[in-house]
Amino acid sequence: MNLVLVSVVIFNIVVSLLFSLGAAPILVWMERRVAGFIQDRLGPNRCNIGGFRLGGLIQSFADMLKLVFKEDYRPKSVKEKLFFSFSPVIVFVCAYLTFMVIPFADDLIIGNQIFMMQGLPIDFGILWFLAFAGLSVYGIIVGGWASNNKYSLLGGLRAAAQVISYEAAMGLSLISILIVYGTIHLGEMVRIQGELLFGFIPAWGIVMQPVAAILFIITAFAETNRAPFDIAEGESELVGGFHTEYSAMRFGLFFVGEYVAMSASSALIITLFLGGYQIPWLNTEALKNNLFWVICCLMVLAPLMSVVFARWIDKNNAWPEENDKRNVEARWLKRALVVINIVLLSILGTLLLLGMSSDAVNITVALLQIVTFALKLLFVNFFFIWVRWTLPRFRYDHLQDLGWKILLPLAIANIFFTGIFVVVFGA
Amino acid sequence: MIDIIFLTLAFFALAGGYGMVTCKQPIHSALSLIVSILALAGLFALLSASFLFMVQIIVYAGAIITLLLFIIMFLNIKEENLPKEDDKTKLLIIGSIVLIPFNILIIKAFSTLPSKSLGIKEDGFGSIKDFGEVLFNNWLIPFELISILLLSALVGAVVYARKDKYNG
Repeated sequence: MNLVLVSVVIFNIVVSLLFSLGAAPILVWMERRVAGFIQDRLGPNRCNIGGFRLGGLIQSFADMLKLVFKEDYRPKSVKEKLFFSFSPVIVFVCAYLTFMVIPFADDLIIGNQIFMMQGLPIDFGILWFLAFAGLSVYGIIVGGWASNNKYSLLGGLRAAAQVISYEAAMGLSLISILIVYGTIHLGEMVRIQGELLFGFIPAWGIVMQPVAAILFIITAFAETNRAPFDIAEGESELVGGFHTEYSAMRFGLFFVGEYVAMSASSALIITLFLGGYQIPWLNTEALKNNLFWVICCLMVLAPLMSVVFARWIDKNNAWPEENDKRNVEARWLKRALVVINIVLLSILGTLLLLGMSSDAVNITVALLQIVTFALKLLFVNFFFIWVRWTLPRFRYDHLQDLGWKILLPLAIANIFFTGIFVVVFGA
Repeated sequence: MIDIIFLTLAFFALAGGYGMVTCKQPIHSALSLIVSILALAGLFALLSASFLFMVQIIVYAGAIITLLLFIIMFLNIKEENLPKEDDKTKLLIIGSIVLIPFNILIIKAFSTLPSKSLGIKEDGFGSIKDFGEVLFNNWLIPFELISILLLSALVGAVVYARKDKYNG
């Protein structure tokens, strides 16, 4: 039995690592390609290993290698060497720890053991997120200060002011959700979101609390220092903001930390407002009861989707010469798709043929929910990138006005009305 | 195991406090205060007061010290503006000697306390629900009074910060 415990814990940690740290290169790639798409250009797509470009994904790995092997340079003007080296670590660790309480599947029952499917099995939920989101700004402030550079200091100051003012609105927008759900435990919240409203609408947070959802998404953008709230590194005014003096892997940690923080914020947005790991209209109970039909649907859908994807590869990765690198890559990718399909179908087929014990049902449901969570995570991260390349940066005073004069009063009004509604109509 | 964690956290709390008092740079003082506050939060967690643990990090470490750092940086204190503390070690030694009788008193007071197990209490002790029930049943009036106090401080700050129409 202990073997099960150990393997589930390791699995949880690896999955949360993949979703946060492993997502970073994919997000960098997505950011650059989506930016290219929005600005009507291609973005990086040439970097390859033996002809394999994977749409430019290789570029991210090349960039990472470059950052790792660059000279570890520290300007002579930096006097606070300890704080200068330590601040990227703070940003990175805090961003990474925030991801640890996000549930990516319903509680898994194997035998008579129940496992919370999140990196750290604790139920502080939202409070944990707020705590580490607040702490991560120290990395930026201290890094900006220790750089001993006016631009860096200004960047750090701006980050501090921004986080203080948006944390207030964020906390207040969360309170109205807490009133609705009646718990701070994220897994509990997602379970509530599996219900149906009026019998046909999924009771997702965005349906029950649209104002809180908008407020939280805006403040989450501000907390992660992403555009349009990236005045802390506004390159048009501050050169590079707080990381002007940083290079090599010290900058790399800031850079990756930003993407991990973005991924963690997306995960929290999903968990609070977009139904978490729940597949719409199919909550955990329904999934377990109808798993036979779900698997049948998957066995039909997987080859169909693969055919569409293969056609898409044919269309986009073609070259007139027969043995060009692009055509070779397309051929190999299609072969890989076929292999994946065969493996998937044979696994699902054996599951169907042999019949399923309750453990197998639970594990399959958990895997399905993890895949759902990953898809939602990709979508919300795409939304972050989309907004970044669509909206211009805020001016500093506009940013403070928005935080204090619009978001904060709206959040308080939302708490007031939610409270009255819950008292009158019952939770 | 718990003893080791307690000792580590207590060490960091004390070291943070010491650094906060003795550091010359205000920013170093503020940063050592954070260490102390985080160690205290850890001590709360050891006492299974999970809500207090999280709130300590969110409010003190996350918000108040950020504000403090912001203001210290905003003042942009230069090295030469800091007060010269030449006889700091002398003052520290004299101060600790003066405090010895008081410390002995405190140790005696602790030794007369009845011995009770300091282990983790039963389930739900420090959880949000129990905390809220106690706060809003037994301590409602003090809670509301404190909130009025905070509100008046807030209004006062706004009045001071507001630009006067006539004085520009």
